[in-house]
Amino acid sequence: MWIFNRLIMVIVFAALFVGGLFAAIYGLNILGYQIADLQQTLGLPAAYEGFQNFITGVENGSLTPTGIAILIGVALLGLILLILELKPRRPRRVRMEKGTYITRAAVNDEVAGATEGTNNVLGSSVKVKAKRRPGAAVDVNADVRRGEDQKVIKNDLRAAVQERLAESGIPLGKIKVKLNESDPRQTKTRVQ
Amino acid sequence: MAEGLITTARAVSEAALSTEGVHALGGGTFAEAATYEGSEKFVGVSVTETEVEVHIVAKYPLAKPIPELAKDIEKNVSPESGGRRISVVIEDIEVAEEVADDVDL
Repeated sequence: MWIFNRLIMVIVFAALFVGGLFAAIYGLNILGYQIADLQQTLGLPAAYEGFQNFITGVENGSLTPTGIAILIGVALLGLILLILELKPRRPRRVRMEKGTYITRAAVNDEVAGATEGTNNVLGSSVKVKAKRRPGAAVDVNADVRRGEDQKVIKNDLRAAVQERLAESGIPLGKIKVKLNESDPRQTKTRVQ
Repeated sequence: MAEGLITTARAVSEAALSTEGVHALGGGTFAEAATYEGSEKFVGVSVTETEVEVHIVAKYPLAKPIPELAKDIEKNVSPESGGRRISVVIEDIEVAEEVADDVDL
């Protein structure tokens, strides 16, 4: 949601900048441009007309199927954005017990240590998310050779991560393991 | 009360660092973890009127599971906290020798 808000703000500020620039150029009659021509240049009358027809259709209850679809889409989008905005932010740190937290980076290091010590894992990338309740959600992407028994490696990986975190006392909420078949020459752990 | 924030932070940090398994104080990950008072700043412990937040780097290998380490820290820090709520944040787990090397550089 933070990224979405940032994107919206970038668009709004860019529009303000461009709009302000146009208004200044046309308002000051720079290079022969006149403010009276601005609407025409930006194509606003056609846009106004389209919007006016749409609103008239809404008022008269004579909407086209496309119009209905647009309104439903806008309402749904609004609802989704509202829910996302109202949803409490995900905590930055992983909660362990009351008053005890561990940073995601520290959990990440622990998980990475466990995954890279697992047999047949050539390299890995780990993503740790803090959950609202105690525990971390862990996503592991591991590189393995082609033709390896993925089920066995997945189980080994899960067990290694669970064991390492249990040893450290870090509660594990959820673990997702994804294996990618990779060329050993291009992974972190090289083989000869 | 406000006058003692830095003093409290110092006392808390000493108590935290004396706990077995604590390697160093952390500086905060997303924002600086520090106590500010006048022109002074103490990094690693954040003391407010109601809360004490201790940021630590644990020693690897862990002498005990992190929750137990946090309990020990809380126990040691408690007398210095002036009745404030205590939170312990584990920022990192580091091998002591590696950190020593870093410091030498």
